[in-house]
Amino acid sequence: MNGAADMGGMHGFGPVQVEANEPVFHADWEKKAFALNIAIGVANIWNLDEFRFARESLPPPQYLNMSYYGLWVATLENMMLRYKMATPEELQEGRAREPVKKAKQPVTAAQVANMVRCGSPYERPAPAPAKFKVGDRVRARNIHPKTHTRLPRYVRGHTGEVVRIVGCHVFPDSNASKRTEDPHWLYTVRFEGRELWGPDSDPNVRIAIEAWEPYLEIA
Amino acid sequence: VALENTPAVHNMVVCTLCSCYPWAVLGLPPLWYKSAPYRSRAVAEPRAVLRDFGVELPPQTEIRVWDSTAELRYLVIPTRPEGTDGWNEDRLADLVTRDSMVGTGFPKRPYEAAK
Repeated sequence: MNGAADMGGMHGFGPVQVEANEPVFHADWEKKAFALNIAIGVANIWNLDEFRFARESLPPPQYLNMSYYGLWVATLENMMLRYKMATPEELQEGRAREPVKKAKQPVTAAQVANMVRCGSPYERPAPAPAKFKVGDRVRARNIHPKTHTRLPRYVRGHTGEVVRIVGCHVFPDSNASKRTEDPHWLYTVRFEGRELWGPDSDPNVRIAIEAWEPYLEIA
Repeated sequence: VALENTPAVHNMVVCTLCSCYPWAVLGLPPLWYKSAPYRSRAVAEPRAVLRDFGVELPPQTEIRVWDSTAELRYLVIPTRPEGTDGWNEDRLADLVTRDSMVGTGFPKRPYEAAK
């Protein structure tokens, strides 16, 4: 979707602010927000792509005004409502009124720690041979799905070069909307800065993204 | 994937869509990495973004920006600082900073090393 999360190339946010000696968390609630999100990921009630889609679906004014972990909490609340794990009243009051819903399997601290360290693998057996090879000129399709996609707006319609075949990976677009893994070949595609940003941009910049096969066509 | 910086090519990493970052190696990302200024500008004007970090690159140095849009994670291997000939791995490792592995900073110089 063309949401507030897809920021590449936007103007007006000002300089990068670097905080000296930055702590990992700025408040105790951030630790809880982080832990809760990882733990619920391990519980496998929803998948990572559904969670990302829910996060970028927050209305742009809200998305842009919230802190990072604030966004995580708001997304978690929306997902809990969607999956009927909580009611709006419960979230409002901050206490349970309905019987607690249990996950299919218990979540252990070791599993949560492992998820933080390793994530979950997204590589899958390939259902078909890769369509493109290293060196191919490919165009990012000019598509604007209203559902989840990992194809950033700033490359759509532009031509680049395949520089790596990463492997066959879960396709986030399908995983977010239909909860099907629908694996596709994943490529690293490199674009010239001027192809993306026009003749006035830095001539000595190249930008690479990862693109699943359905995002690409031969140029 | 490891990306080697040289005097001719400077690599830097961003996640424009969210905050993908090599947690397992670098820990959780700093706020600036997740912030709108970095995510919006790193792909469009990386040289100017590097200046926000105090990193000035000559115009002839090519900048390669890697937007982590999938589950592949990137780490930058910073250019080996001058004056470190004969240093062993431990001494060199002490020069490597987090930012130098994201590509937004240089490694420490030999005289900045902890003795």
